[in-house]
Amino acid sequence: MQVFDLTLLVLLLPLLGFLILGSLRLFGWHEQHEAISWIGCGTIALAFISALISFVSLTNAATQAHDTVFWNWVASGKLTINFGLRLDPLSSVMLLVITGVGLLIHIYSVGYMHNDPGYWRYFSFLNFFIFAMVLLVSADNYLFLLIGWALVGLASYLLIGFWYERPSAVAAAKKAFVVNVIGDFGLMLAIFLLYGKFGSLGYSPILFSDPNGTIAAPSVFGVNDPTLLAITLLLFVACATKSAQLPLHVWLPDAMEGPTPVSALIHAATMVTAGVYLVARSANLYNQAPIALWVIAGIGGLTAIFAASIALVQNDIKRILAYSTISQLGYMFIAEGAGNYSAGIFHLTTHAYFKALLFMCAGAVIHALGGEQDIRKMGGLRGRLKWSYWTFIVGGLALAGIVPFAGFWSKDAILGSLLQRGIAAGGSLWYLVLYGVGLATAILTGFYVFRLIFVVFHGTYRGGEALPQPEGQANARTRKPRRPANPLAQVHEAPWIMLVPMLALAVLSTTGWIYGAPWFDALGQFLAPIFGVGFNPASFALQGWTLWISFGISLLAGLIGIGIAALMYLRRTPSLQPMSNIFYKTLLNKYWVDEVYDWVLVKPIVGMGRLTGRVLEDGAFDGGSRGLAWLVGKTSVGLRAMQTGYVRNYVLILLVGAILILLYYVARP
Amino acid sequence: MPPDQPTGYLIVSAVLFTIGVVGVLVRRNPLIMFMSIELMLNAVNLSFMTFAHYLDSVEGWIFVFLVLTVAAAEVVVGLAIIVSIFRTRHNVDVDELDSMKG
Repeated sequence: MQVFDLTLLVLLLPLLGFLILGSLRLFGWHEQHEAISWIGCGTIALAFISALISFVSLTNAATQAHDTVFWNWVASGKLTINFGLRLDPLSSVMLLVITGVGLLIHIYSVGYMHNDPGYWRYFSFLNFFIFAMVLLVSADNYLFLLIGWALVGLASYLLIGFWYERPSAVAAAKKAFVVNVIGDFGLMLAIFLLYGKFGSLGYSPILFSDPNGTIAAPSVFGVNDPTLLAITLLLFVACATKSAQLPLHVWLPDAMEGPTPVSALIHAATMVTAGVYLVARSANLYNQAPIALWVIAGIGGLTAIFAASIALVQNDIKRILAYSTISQLGYMFIAEGAGNYSAGIFHLTTHAYFKALLFMCAGAVIHALGGEQDIRKMGGLRGRLKWSYWTFIVGGLALAGIVPFAGFWSKDAILGSLLQRGIAAGGSLWYLVLYGVGLATAILTGFYVFRLIFVVFHGTYRGGEALPQPEGQANARTRKPRRPANPLAQVHEAPWIMLVPMLALAVLSTTGWIYGAPWFDALGQFLAPIFGVGFNPASFALQGWTLWISFGISLLAGLIGIGIAALMYLRRTPSLQPMSNIFYKTLLNKYWVDEVYDWVLVKPIVGMGRLTGRVLEDGAFDGGSRGLAWLVGKTSVGLRAMQTGYVRNYVLILLVGAILILLYYVARP
Repeated sequence: MPPDQPTGYLIVSAVLFTIGVVGVLVRRNPLIMFMSIELMLNAVNLSFMTFAHYLDSVEGWIFVFLVLTVAAAEVVVGLAIIVSIFRTRHNVDVDELDSMKG
């Protein structure tokens, strides 16, 4: 069967939506909220349908990849760069996640943002993001990948700083942009090295031997080639930045300043997984660089447990989820570092469902409480927010890895493959260490997500009169003054347009594991050709009773975490007082990473700027030019006296000069 | 026939030039100053002609033509300026024309 490749449509529809919505202000139509909703969601819905058609036709097609070159963008000597789109198993799965989850979040945003004066701006940015993300995953060469990479960074910047009247949002947007540029730079350097080595930037000479195929290109690198190591590590710098891995994770928690649906779409489900995508995409390079894979697994493991431990004590509902996202991305990198790319992508898809769901539920809570994000001022909301409560439970169980929710299967695919690598013949202790880290993280995950649920939805309401005014959050401006008699009276469930996407994602979080179940790993088999020679997802699977033991251990880890959370927070009055021990303070202050960066990087740079401003700018540059002006002025005053205004004086001077010249010639020997 | 030596011509030329210089320096009437300038120019012309003749060279002739042309143009412009100054100030004493003084 022929491949029915609609990738171009998937790319151009969101761009069209962005262009239409972005130009509405010119015509004064930016108040037409209904039309904006239809255009914003409609283009994404059509893009999703196109992606679905492409995906289905690809699964039924004989060829496993389809590359279309649309035009020759640069042709200069040996350098040729084409604009082409590649539809292959990996990009089609990514397209489905991006447009599918993107569509649900667009619909959700219609309810969440309904009163915001920047409604048109919001939807045009959101469509722009989908366009950039589609470009990132469907480009057929590294240069267009870089363009998409930078454009999603721009979209992220615009949406984090969406409420630009809040200084904190502007600062967060700036921080995200600056940190992300480090990654862009790494990617750019990697691209230069790739060009130097291959003389081309297309995936087909670098990764695959044939543009329309999935056969891995033969290796051109020697064993432990330093160039290859540099390329793979520089690519990973880019991945670690975009996917918020240590030590470049600092931008993601601050990115929660953006509207909650943006956090769900960009900073949980799609953009931050671009790094996971890039490693999986470049699998053929990474397979040849085992050192790079160790680094990836190590950073992933460290990040997973580091971020999960921070999430234990945070009090901002969105920040808890942000650290959880960082931690889950760490899991994906552990999987990829262990060589099990398909498990990483599997976890990417399920994480997109349940983390987007959790953010949406958090958004519903924030929406209901008029912008309150501090969980210490919530509590007892389960009576008023039934739907949000139950969908939150679904998302929480999926995140904690409780059977049968999606997160359990994908997390176990990762942990199981680590265990398998560790106990298999010739296995290394390294994988068992990572397995241990993964299990410890699973315990922490169960704890922090159920702490969040118990504190927010159980117990009694602690907000009361202290409910603060939302800071600039427009959709809360219409909230009426609270009556003291029943503090929860004004709290209302989200409208159906927000609940429907939440329910859809709850269903996906429950059933979205079927394509990756360990017994018939359809996703793994589908993706396998992308990941290079000899990649076989089945080789990572545990067999027989070890599989059940791995299930049991993973489940137990999640349950232990939930159990501890229940013991601590399911009481009538959970202790929310800050503790005074050093561990608690370390975690609450996020290991002081921000402070360290502030001292090591920000302060010296700002100080140097001040110094050059004072010494170099005022002293040397300004001083130099001011001194020159002073000198010229003083000299002019002196010289002015020569201009007597008497013609005869001038003639006399002329004559004297002429005589002097004459004398010089006469007197010259 | 001209004499064998150019001394006489050059002496006349130097005398004429000196008269011109002194005229420019001491007179305050711009018309007289112009005349003195013309005197200097023609003194130079005389020396040019002298050398052209005695050195049997044609460059001197060419320079004389150039000087004549420039002198004519200069006089035209200069007289126009003097006339226009006279119209605005009713006075052409050069010592009083000192508004460009520094």
